[in-house]
Amino acid sequence: MRVDVETDNIATGRTDMESPQVEIAGDTCEAVDAGINGIIKESIEKHKRRTAFWDRAATIAIWSLAFIGMGILFFIIGTILWRGLAMAIQPGFIFGKPEAIKEGGGIGPMVVSSFYLAFLTVIIVLPIGVGAAIYMSEFAKEGWATRAARFGADSLATVPSVIFGIFGMVLFVIYFGLGWCLLAGALTLALLNLPTVMRTTEEALKAVPSSYREASMGLGATRWETVKRVVLPSAMPGITTGAVLTIGRAIGESAVVIFTVGIFIGWIPRTPLSPAAPMAANIWHWYTEGALKADAMAIANGEAALLLLVVLLLNVAARVLARFYQKRLGTVR
Amino acid sequence: MTAIDREWIVKKTLFVLAMITVLGVLLIVFFVARESIQAFTEAGPANLFGAEWKPKDGQYGMLVFIVGTLTTTAGGLLLGTPLAIGSAIFLTQMAPRRTRSIVTRGVELLAGIPSIVLGWLGLTVLVPWIRNFSNSAGTGILAASIILAIMVIPTITTISIDALEAVPRSHKEASLAMGATRWQTIRRVLIPAAKPGLIVAVILGMGRAIGETMAVALVIGPASTFATSLTSPTHTMTTKILIEMGESTGVQRSALFAMGVVLLLISMALILAVRMVTRERKTA
Repeated sequence: MRVDVETDNIATGRTDMESPQVEIAGDTCEAVDAGINGIIKESIEKHKRRTAFWDRAATIAIWSLAFIGMGILFFIIGTILWRGLAMAIQPGFIFGKPEAIKEGGGIGPMVVSSFYLAFLTVIIVLPIGVGAAIYMSEFAKEGWATRAARFGADSLATVPSVIFGIFGMVLFVIYFGLGWCLLAGALTLALLNLPTVMRTTEEALKAVPSSYREASMGLGATRWETVKRVVLPSAMPGITTGAVLTIGRAIGESAVVIFTVGIFIGWIPRTPLSPAAPMAANIWHWYTEGALKADAMAIANGEAALLLLVVLLLNVAARVLARFYQKRLGTVR
Repeated sequence: MTAIDREWIVKKTLFVLAMITVLGVLLIVFFVARESIQAFTEAGPANLFGAEWKPKDGQYGMLVFIVGTLTTTAGGLLLGTPLAIGSAIFLTQMAPRRTRSIVTRGVELLAGIPSIVLGWLGLTVLVPWIRNFSNSAGTGILAASIILAIMVIPTITTISIDALEAVPRSHKEASLAMGATRWQTIRRVLIPAAKPGLIVAVILGMGRAIGETMAVALVIGPASTFATSLTSPTHTMTTKILIEMGESTGVQRSALFAMGVVLLLISMALILAVRMVTRERKTA
């Protein structure tokens, strides 16, 4: 493509020369040639300078775009932690009893609710998601079933979370009569996280070399024995990553929770059928009902910082776990 | 029980688990659509897609919120796409290895920040800034667009990276060997070759922006009228559903579900768009 541009330049150089050349009829051919050569050289130089300039400009621009992105990230994390961390790491705040109207109080029930909900979500979604992924990559032939399941997963992944929320409210809270409770929220969140778990598991299963399966089946193992004893253990790092991602999303999710679990309670939820108030949804509560409580904003800042801290730790945990499994199994992902 | 019986049972069980994805989608569509029937029969489509949302006067027009969703999404993509694709180019073409791993981790982290936390930050930092600059309430399309831009960056960046990395190395090498500069190679070879993937990235970013609820809800409202400027409050479909569902009954509640149906239709359209783009790439 560069060649094209240069021929263009040479061509324009010539046309520029032609008209004066006719007027100065007395000049020798050599002088004209030298002139043309000079112009060609000059235009090549000019072109080189221009492309070099644009190359440098683009490099600077793209570096700065990446830096702006990182700057935004650090600003977000920095601000949230700076404003809320002092509060978020106080045991009295993390484990304390909340106050609806009086100043002060902790978020004990909210912390418990968040982890309880995430735990329930994971134990519901993991068997379904991993099972579905095993079916897709180990058992099924490419056909209507895999196409349907893949379309289902894609659709679930694009449905807005608030739609999951109102759906969970209609089906689990009202139709099944569960009422606002952890189980209703966990079932809805399980559906929301199903595509992620399926995708990470499927990727992990695909990364297991087919020679493992061949070796196992060559020894007379059935397909299921092969999956259970050979493929699944090798895919553990990927499955773990999916599970940790799910925990993070379940703890951070609020639109679903508001419609299915609840936004404020003063006590710790006991069973999966108790209403609860996870941290993320509780921040929304302080936004809508903040006028009731003088220090609602400080509480919400603390909750935001704690949420972010949990997400950061889960991120690190996913990495460490994956590395641990890799070492133990000696497999390369 | 013989091993063959067990194999058969296991296979059927796993098949049922895989079909839960389909069942889930069907249930969502069924229940959301069923709840919206009342709005369609009692208020009628003309009323539902009108411009006035005044439930007390029996007007349930969702046009304001459709416009809110479209404008904030467009704003978010306009601000976020250059940053995201720029970052993807940076990560795949320019960054030294250590910088690359740090920035990649940063992008993953950004994806993990709960939307309510981002919204809370928007409400307490971004909105006051805009209020000072523009002498207005501070909430509105501008604030929502900025927050959405931040939220679509991880989605678009990650998928763009995959698209750029899928371009065969030989294409790039051929271009460089011909004497093209790095920028010429990126602009004339890499970006055209990765274009379908980049389009998919933007479409999925769009899906994320249209569906985002909490972060937008904290920085956009509250008003059920068209925005008169970038800094005047309005609502999107998702935020309207979030805010009014709890305290509404009858036709008003059903009209909110009708907005849900519209959102579901948009999601489906986006999936189909992605499939069309990827199919084009396969045949090309």
